[in-house]
Amino acid sequence: MSKQSKMGVLGLLLVLPSFLVLFVIVILPVALSFKESLTNDSGGYDLSNYIYLFTDKLMRSNIIFTLTVTIISVGLVLAVSYALAVYMRFNDSAIVRWIQKMYMIPIFIPGVIATYGLIRMLGNRGWAAQFLYQFGVESMPRFIFDMKGIIIANLWFNIPFTTMLLASALTAVPNSIIESAKDVGAGMWRIFFNLILPLTYKTLLVAATFAFMGIIGSFTAPFLLGPNAPQMLGVSMQQIFGVFQDRQLASALAFFTFFLCSIMGYFYIREMTKEERGKAT
Amino acid sequence: MIRKKSILSSLSALTILSVILSACGGAANNTANTGNSGATPAANTEDTAAAEPVEFSFYLTGSQNVKSLYDTLIPMFEEKNPDAKVNLVYIPSGAGAQPTYDRILAAKQAGKGSGDIDLYEAGLSDVTLGKKDDLWDTLNADGIPNLNHVNQQVLTNISNLAVPYRSSAVLLAYNSEKITDVPTTLDELYEWIRNHPGKFAYNDPSTGGSGNSFVMTTLYKDLPEDAIYNSDPSILEQWGTGMDLLKDLGQFVYGGGIYPKKNQGTLDLLATGEVDMIPAWSDMVMEQTANGLLPASTKMQQLTPGFNGGPTYLMVPKLSEKKEAVYKFLDFVLSPEAQEVIVNQLHGFPGIEITNMPQEIQDSFEGAAEGFRSFNIGELEKEMTKRWQSEVAAQ
Repeated sequence: MSKQSKMGVLGLLLVLPSFLVLFVIVILPVALSFKESLTNDSGGYDLSNYIYLFTDKLMRSNIIFTLTVTIISVGLVLAVSYALAVYMRFNDSAIVRWIQKMYMIPIFIPGVIATYGLIRMLGNRGWAAQFLYQFGVESMPRFIFDMKGIIIANLWFNIPFTTMLLASALTAVPNSIIESAKDVGAGMWRIFFNLILPLTYKTLLVAATFAFMGIIGSFTAPFLLGPNAPQMLGVSMQQIFGVFQDRQLASALAFFTFFLCSIMGYFYIREMTKEERGKAT
Repeated sequence: MIRKKSILSSLSALTILSVILSACGGAANNTANTGNSGATPAANTEDTAAAEPVEFSFYLTGSQNVKSLYDTLIPMFEEKNPDAKVNLVYIPSGAGAQPTYDRILAAKQAGKGSGDIDLYEAGLSDVTLGKKDDLWDTLNADGIPNLNHVNQQVLTNISNLAVPYRSSAVLLAYNSEKITDVPTTLDELYEWIRNHPGKFAYNDPSTGGSGNSFVMTTLYKDLPEDAIYNSDPSILEQWGTGMDLLKDLGQFVYGGGIYPKKNQGTLDLLATGEVDMIPAWSDMVMEQTANGLLPASTKMQQLTPGFNGGPTYLMVPKLSEKKEAVYKFLDFVLSPEAQEVIVNQLHGFPGIEITNMPQEIQDSFEGAAEGFRSFNIGELEKEMTKRWQSEVAAQ
């Protein structure tokens, strides 16, 4: 065997374990649930479950609700995290050092506990309301059992990790570039849009993908904080599977969620490979 | 100097590692030993049945509080009956790989006796299912003397196939400081809800039995009395008026149509004083009032006709080979002494007639332990939550 083919076999052997894991815990279940989702009531195969997903009024409003919550949340998470990361990168003060120490804390608080904490704080008689009452604010907008509650929870869960990703990307931006840009007279905004943003664009995309996937499939916060209807897809899926025990419809919904995530994944992978190819040539 | 330090630290790391490893090995040996020692007496039981206690398996699926109840009761029983031993197999609800009922049935069909399950706890639906499949042993007071203290009507209804050893019911829990004029019928309740907007809440019926019971009771309000035992889909058409009523009530309940999740969701609202009245499980209300989670002014009221409620049953598989020991255990569970633990620890209603209990327990159940109805509509319950979700929640 030539050295090259030996290396090839070795490469395959190295890839094999991770491929097997991927096959057993991702590809196989996806295929099985796709098959399940095509099964109709009489046992045959057709698209009836998918037709139901897009024609039933309740289901359609669930899908629209989920997408709305996800897109608003991802947008807000990226905006807040990016601002925070940029602030931490280009400033050095006592406040920055405090933020650097503290912004990871939410990651270490279990989701259920954080959600109950939010209920306690933002609920109708929660301490936010009690605090504002001292200043004569009689009624608060409704956060709990509303879309706003889910979005706030999503911010809490996603900002730390996203900030961490972006902060590390920003650290990789060399000071020398920025200084030389300044030397030739570039303004603050110009430096940001022409240098910093393009240099961290890829990480921004990674962060958006992670946040999108995490939020679209979230369960705990929407279940405890969300309205009864419309529901987010995770909550609806649980109800269809666990309470209505309609496995086919639940599979169809699961597959649809997977499909939404894979669209996001497609853009992500396309961007990544574009870069790789650019490097190779 | 630096070298020395690194040698030292690597040495100590090695020591720690070896300690950990040997500890692991020791643990592994220990488990192996217990495995062996566990097997030996079991083998002995068959040889010298008289000397060794008979060990029977009790399968329990449910919440943690039910398990802790048996963690108290079983030692009490074993102390009194050294010749019997209970092997409690607890399967937390939702985690059971294969529901116990299916196992018993499969064992019977495969000709393997009772599948080593000698006692099983479940609700009414499994009792009726087992009657159809001929799985349960017929029980009588000869083997279990304390069965005489149980309401005989309940026993007749289930053809003596199970022991109703505790029960709980959904009822109205309310803040007695704010409400003096408590509704006692459904119509009065609806009127109260309309007159006090936002002060009543029931939970999403797919997430907990108390809201579920409120919805079900409303749907069957104007239907014939025995419709609540009917699981035939033909009755679905008659749900229309009930659904319309629930839809209409939506604007008057908490937050103009907010239905919290889980039984605990509405209890939390009652605790913070956001609402004044909710349907709730009796045992949850009593436990949380006792713990101070709910204000001491919380009181309970059953309606006529009542909300859903009913006993939890213990069944003995017909093919079990250790019936004698199981009967002894059942007799113990029905003794006033064990029933008192059920009342005090689980806050359930006693399974034996309440006149057999101490006076103070009789007093605490006044007005609460009676009047509930045992709905049994089977598969229709799924349909009910489905329709509620699309018609009431998403209106």
